[in-house]
Amino acid sequence: MMTRDLLALGPMLITAGGAVVLLLALAVCRSHAFASAWSVLVLAAALAAIPMTWPGAPASGDLLNLLAIDSWALAFWGIIFGSALVVCLLGFEYFRPLAVQAEEFYVLVLLSATGAAVLAAADHFATVFLGLELLSVSLFALAAYRRDQAISIEAGIKYLVLAGTSSALLLFGLALLYFHTASLRLSGLAGPLLAGHPDTIALYAGIALVLVAMGFKLGLAPMHVWTPDVYQGSPAPVSALVGSVSKAGAMAFMVRLAGVTLTGTPGVRNGVFYGLLVLAIASMFTGNLLALRQPNIKRLLAYSSIAHMGYCLLAVLPMAAGAALDRQAVFYYMLAHAVSILGAFGCVCAASENGREAQHVEDYRGLAWRRPVLAGVFSLMLLSLAGIPLTAGFLGKFYVLASGVRNALWLPAVCLVINSGIGLFYYLRVLGTLYQREEAESPDQFATSTAPSALLQPSPQLLLTHLTLAALVVLLIYFGLMPALASLPM
Amino acid sequence: MLDWLWVIPALPLAGFVLLVGLRGLPRPVIALIGVGSVGASAALALLAAVRYLSAAGPVVPIRQVLWTWLPLTSFHPTIGLHLDPLSLLMMVVVTFVAFWIHLYSTGYMACDGGYGRFFAYMNLFVGAMLVLVLADNLLLLYLGWEGVGLCSYLLIGFWYTDPANGRAAMKAFIVTRVGDAALAVGLLLLYWHFGTLDIQSIALQAPHVWVSGSGLAIAAAALLLGGAVGKSAQLPLQTWLPDAMAGPTPVSALIHAATMVTAGVYLIARMNAIFELALPVGQVVAVIGAVTLLLAACSALTQTDIKRILAYSTISQIGYMFLALGVGAYSAAMFHFMTHAFFKSLLFLAAGAIILGMHHEQNIFKMGGLWRRMPLTFVTFLAGALSLAALPFVTAGFYSKDLILYETLASQRGSPVLWACGLVGAVLTALYTFRLVFVVFFGPARREPQRGGSARGTAALGCGSFQAQKPEPPAPTHISWTMTLPLVVLAVFAIVAGAVELPKNVYQVTLLSDWLGVVLPAAPQREHLPSLAKVQIIAGAASLAGIVAAWLLYRRFPSAVRVLRLVRPWRQVYRLWQGGWGFDWLYRRLVVEPFVYLARANRRDFIDLFYGAIGESAKLLHAVLSWGQTGKVGWYAACLVIGAIVLITILVLT
Repeated sequence: MMTRDLLALGPMLITAGGAVVLLLALAVCRSHAFASAWSVLVLAAALAAIPMTWPGAPASGDLLNLLAIDSWALAFWGIIFGSALVVCLLGFEYFRPLAVQAEEFYVLVLLSATGAAVLAAADHFATVFLGLELLSVSLFALAAYRRDQAISIEAGIKYLVLAGTSSALLLFGLALLYFHTASLRLSGLAGPLLAGHPDTIALYAGIALVLVAMGFKLGLAPMHVWTPDVYQGSPAPVSALVGSVSKAGAMAFMVRLAGVTLTGTPGVRNGVFYGLLVLAIASMFTGNLLALRQPNIKRLLAYSSIAHMGYCLLAVLPMAAGAALDRQAVFYYMLAHAVSILGAFGCVCAASENGREAQHVEDYRGLAWRRPVLAGVFSLMLLSLAGIPLTAGFLGKFYVLASGVRNALWLPAVCLVINSGIGLFYYLRVLGTLYQREEAESPDQFATSTAPSALLQPSPQLLLTHLTLAALVVLLIYFGLMPALASLPM
Repeated sequence: MLDWLWVIPALPLAGFVLLVGLRGLPRPVIALIGVGSVGASAALALLAAVRYLSAAGPVVPIRQVLWTWLPLTSFHPTIGLHLDPLSLLMMVVVTFVAFWIHLYSTGYMACDGGYGRFFAYMNLFVGAMLVLVLADNLLLLYLGWEGVGLCSYLLIGFWYTDPANGRAAMKAFIVTRVGDAALAVGLLLLYWHFGTLDIQSIALQAPHVWVSGSGLAIAAAALLLGGAVGKSAQLPLQTWLPDAMAGPTPVSALIHAATMVTAGVYLIARMNAIFELALPVGQVVAVIGAVTLLLAACSALTQTDIKRILAYSTISQIGYMFLALGVGAYSAAMFHFMTHAFFKSLLFLAAGAIILGMHHEQNIFKMGGLWRRMPLTFVTFLAGALSLAALPFVTAGFYSKDLILYETLASQRGSPVLWACGLVGAVLTALYTFRLVFVVFFGPARREPQRGGSARGTAALGCGSFQAQKPEPPAPTHISWTMTLPLVVLAVFAIVAGAVELPKNVYQVTLLSDWLGVVLPAAPQREHLPSLAKVQIIAGAASLAGIVAAWLLYRRFPSAVRVLRLVRPWRQVYRLWQGGWGFDWLYRRLVVEPFVYLARANRRDFIDLFYGAIGESAKLLHAVLSWGQTGKVGWYAACLVIGAIVLITILVLT
């Protein structure tokens, strides 16, 4: 390894090293504040290292056998490390009043971010599997982090079993691909695919199984069924992590894979195209229809993110169809989605108190009259998820739709429009609840401590959460007004 | 140069954000933010004007692109500002007049419960107008255009507890919306043919893309005109303006002088390249202007509400501007816009002082003899009235109106008929203006103006109290310096502002047309120009005749009017004019009632079944899909396998 390789790996080395150092330090001295501050510093340093590495690694070196540290990977590292940073900030005040030992949370967040970063840059089957496993293993520990609650443990076990299953499918798929192409490198697949080996069922099944594994991580229908349970059971910062970091890593790899299959025979190209088309349309409808009358806000956000990944696939489809790549649109969509979903779960964190999460939509009734600023922030995040102009979500959706229209992908484009309409219904349902006045309460309701009004009182202990939300709002508006990042060369 | 130009529209917008975001501020702070933001904006606008005009060399437009919104391959909507003499004039006048109106409002609205809300909307109004004026492309201009429309809705319906005010606000919004729809279609047409909405590049390309007088050019100009008549309250969309008097008086001043109604005039002047290619539309503009100015002047003559008189007067004066635009005299239109901004804002503010003094009495026939009781208001109102009536050689209004009348004769596109309309309008203008002055300020006092706290109580606060039956806004019982200073300043400008452009035979001053000549073409002149002096004498005589007629009818022989109103045909004409020529009645019969009838008849139409079915099927699908969320890990793993089977099948089959 040469120095420039190390430099290119810098951001990832920082998070991986940071996790190890934190683990060792915690063996000596346990301090929640230290763990939190350290992980924030590590992630900030990793973020700061990205521009220094830009626009990617040199064209040679041992490194390139395993990882492709190009501008695509670096851009996604930005999303991944930034999201993990926000999750750490939200986690501090979320875990502080709880009776669980919170220090390992930060180790796991750092590890999952590292895993997602490996996946985003993976160019070798070994690194794909390594990254995915690092991500999954950290995530199921994180999902079950609130051991005091059965639902959290249930979420962790479900994720463990299902992620294990999907890893098995992935491994099988990778093996079949190796069997067909005799190459373990992703970019090395292109040669054998181009060389015109006759397509075999092994190749098709290999590609399909890899797609299934990625589809599982992204929560694409019909592999989506786990998402609501895991989102609901996990602590809110972890749900935010699943919605941002894990999705960004998987989507980055999905686009890489789709790019490689471009070089294949028409059979492969068409197959991938139609496969992704079915996944995209099914995800849009399934996600939105399931969210329609969902009373639990965390499950609602889970369904919403299923639909969002379906939208995002619309920008992946052109490359599967052999047309111009629209990597910028995918990147911007994932960026906007990360900001919005982090903000939405941040609001859930801010609305929760005394260890009880404000999960039910009813908990938010009349929030605007008690905590107008928080309700305003939540509204903005919901509007961004719904894709209303002047928010990042609008521009993301706009670019994706523009890419679909440019390549005459009318069917999925029309589906996206229809689903935006369906989606608006449940976002507005929550929004309306925020601004509804509560009915005059009878005196006996005051007596019960679990009444929604007892919850959600403004709390001075949530300073960090509020500052994080403020920063997210600034980003949301900034990305909604000045899409400079959308023209990054990728 | 002028890198800080963006600050000028940003300040009022920031004021709006602050006032909306921080609720419960004390009143002095609200006033400081509300007035200070517009005041700083006005100061910067003046500074920008000085810097821009004192720059050496020829006058070149400044373009400042702040950022590009939505960069796409074929469409680059920029958020950019464009400063040339035309937008400079608009910017300076808008901020300057708006500042004095804001200052006045601190006194006028001092006792209103919605103090912060009022200044927030007012700031947004000014900010939106500045965006409209400074936009370098039509998309941004449209944003300002709609922003102005929104603010007019919010402010006309400011006292929303009275449903009538809400209705007036909706009327203004919906009627201008008709024009806005035409404008939007016009923008799409322009984009379709030019591939850009950038104003300067459209102006450059227009002569090459469209032949003069071609159908598309005419369509585009007509659609732009549609937007302009809506916002500027010209025939046939003028009906909203008299009702817009429901808002607080400073709002009326702002709508009539600085923002909103002048937007249409600005749009036509700004897009003159398109209108120059569509001369028939130019003729239509002139005719609309001429007819509107006559109709509105007649209506103004018969109103009894002081604010409605001024409202019809605004429609009439904007008609003069349209007349000038139609005959190609763009500079003359902008000149009249400027003088009108000064004297009309002055008249409204002075009327506001009168209304406060009479404790929300707006009927002029219940006033009288006020010149003794409100001397300062009287003097300033008189200055505005003289300017509106175009008293020869003294007032600003004379110079601008005289220029329009002269150009109507001198331009190849003008005609003696149009000129005659303008002249008759000038007589009527002087007549209705001095009818107002004589009835309100002279004659016997019909009702005592309110003084001090008197018997209405709450004198300690300096505020009047609510009346029990009618929701009447509480009003300050004395008039503070913040209300008198704007009157004095605007009165001075209403008299002297004409000095920037004087007729050639008086003195060689053509500052305004020289500046504007850079961006606005001059009207093509006839070969045999009419004598300037003759036209001036006739115009001066017309306004003097109107004033004398008003004196005869309302001072010397007031019984003549009463007798006249008993004569049958005249009484019906009177009622027609008072109702604004029956346009409201006509639109109610033609549009509103059929629409309401259709909506009622179609309340349970079968098309709704279709949409209902969509909703029901969505619910059904939701139920079906929810059934799949069993929570059982085995089923979840099976779903993974199902996904694998589906994908493998697809890959193998295709």
